[in-house]
Amino acid sequence: MSWPAQETSRKPFDDGWAREYAEVVGVIAAVTVMGGFFMPRYGLNLSYGAFGHIYLLAVIALSLRVGRGPALAAAVVSAVAWDYVFVPPQMSFSVLNLDDTLELATYFVVALIGGQLTARVREREKLFAEAELHRTLLDSVSHELKTPLAVLRTAAEKIDTSDPQKRTRLTDEIRTATSRLDHLVANLLNQTRLESRGLRSQPDWCDARDIISAARRTVADALAGRPLKVEIPTDMPLFMADAPLLEQSVANLLLNAALHTPAASAVSVTVGMDQRGARVFIAVADRGPGIPPELRENLFQKFRRGQTARAGGLGLGLSIVRGFTLAQGGEVVASDNPQGGATFTIWLPHTSHGSVPGDEH
Amino acid sequence: MSTDPVKSAVLVIDDEPQIRRLLRLMLEDAGYVVRQAETGQAGLNEAARHAPDVIILDLGLPDMAGVEVLKQLRTWSAIPVLILSVFGQENRKVDGLDAGADDYLTKPFGGDELLARLRALHRRIKPALAASTFGFGLIEVDFARRSVSKAGRPVKLTAMEYALLQLFITHRDKALTHRQILRELWGPKAEGQTHYLRTYMMRLRRKLEDDLDTPNFFLTESGVGYRFVSEQSDSI
Repeated sequence: MSWPAQETSRKPFDDGWAREYAEVVGVIAAVTVMGGFFMPRYGLNLSYGAFGHIYLLAVIALSLRVGRGPALAAAVVSAVAWDYVFVPPQMSFSVLNLDDTLELATYFVVALIGGQLTARVREREKLFAEAELHRTLLDSVSHELKTPLAVLRTAAEKIDTSDPQKRTRLTDEIRTATSRLDHLVANLLNQTRLESRGLRSQPDWCDARDIISAARRTVADALAGRPLKVEIPTDMPLFMADAPLLEQSVANLLLNAALHTPAASAVSVTVGMDQRGARVFIAVADRGPGIPPELRENLFQKFRRGQTARAGGLGLGLSIVRGFTLAQGGEVVASDNPQGGATFTIWLPHTSHGSVPGDEH
Repeated sequence: MSTDPVKSAVLVIDDEPQIRRLLRLMLEDAGYVVRQAETGQAGLNEAARHAPDVIILDLGLPDMAGVEVLKQLRTWSAIPVLILSVFGQENRKVDGLDAGADDYLTKPFGGDELLARLRALHRRIKPALAASTFGFGLIEVDFARRSVSKAGRPVKLTAMEYALLQLFITHRDKALTHRQILRELWGPKAEGQTHYLRTYMMRLRRKLEDDLDTPNFFLTESGVGYRFVSEQSDSI
């Protein structure tokens, strides 16, 4: 499975790299302006040799922050700037004497080595962090898989020799364990589908009632004993969505509400359309403790779980909701329920369908 | 089926030995005679030789696609087929149903559910009584007069709504794909116009169902189509 793989290799010119090159140019320019224009104005005149060392410091400092390529660029840019601005005659490319050439060469090599070394250290740190993440994931996945398996095994061994009353309890345990496994495998498969980009949304006209009732059926056990209010306007139009994906998303939101709020507290599902009729929404609101502050930032990232979340679960639910909703061209938003608790809203783009052939009575 | 003088025979075509063992255990317990095949080709041979009453067909077979088995079978036989698929293969379910399967179940499925589906398949292969009325819940349908009533009060259905209801009653307990219903009611050109179907389903449910949020009779099979069930105890 591909999910623990972080971005290990970045493309040469994506956003991150552009930002790093910009940073390099910015810092060298700042040092140059500072030393070449401001300091002389206030009577601080360093020898151009001394200033070479300041550039060197800047390059080393930069290489602590940026990748190999930008670090090399920092060395080149600073060498050019030094020669042009500081080495006499100033403000022109100077022909360097032996001393200066040697200094420039040393400087260049030091910048090069420094940059490459720090880049290497950082890459190693990143690998280490990835290995750490991998291990935590493996731990939690194997815990989640092994718990129901242990239950199944124990129950299977015990069931022959148990009295009828205990047997019923054991079969209940078996049923719970299998549904937990079923849910886990479905989540892992869904997450894998999302990340392998093998997921293509197949939108078709949907009836909101169908979506909600299917989602409710999926999580009926978890919702048992809770007041659930469903509000769908009678004139709610059909809308385009991938029914299985949307059902799974709503089911995940309902399951979250069931798992992370006090038993018997109310859950509501509201369906509707924005005023312009350009978007439809399905909102799942609960009356629980709300979204923990430490989770707000990356609530929808995979393997994210609240500190107070109860045992069980991998933290894939919301990541799947987000992935499935994005795949359908929509977005999912978390907010506070004005009455207390949390609200998760799935928004999908909406257009009206063509006419439906009428028929006579 | 244990009350039948001749036991019904089920042919299980699945390459997983454990699934076959479990199905045999369960089906024999329920009074069926069970035959098995590991591959699609063996399954077709078996079906030709012994003519089972029902076939349970896994879609993921080693030698040929389950849908291919189904297509070949349908060239010479109308034996009811229940297909087994795994999670997340809505497309393949639809292909299977369009290729002539009568029903489907998604693995992992419950034993009671499987038996209920088999009973429903059996009900359908028994010659339908030439009844002039059909009842479900509080609804009575009179085919001769083309009239429908709910709890004794007449319900006005449009021609298209009535045709849809009639189609469902004819194929009760069967999962019908969107394409099948659209083709039947609006013709082959309308196969992709699912909004026709959704709109009419909404109207039909509004007139006949008690609770729109949890329909009892006209069930949605998500990503696949609809299923009409008339006997609550037997369907899940």
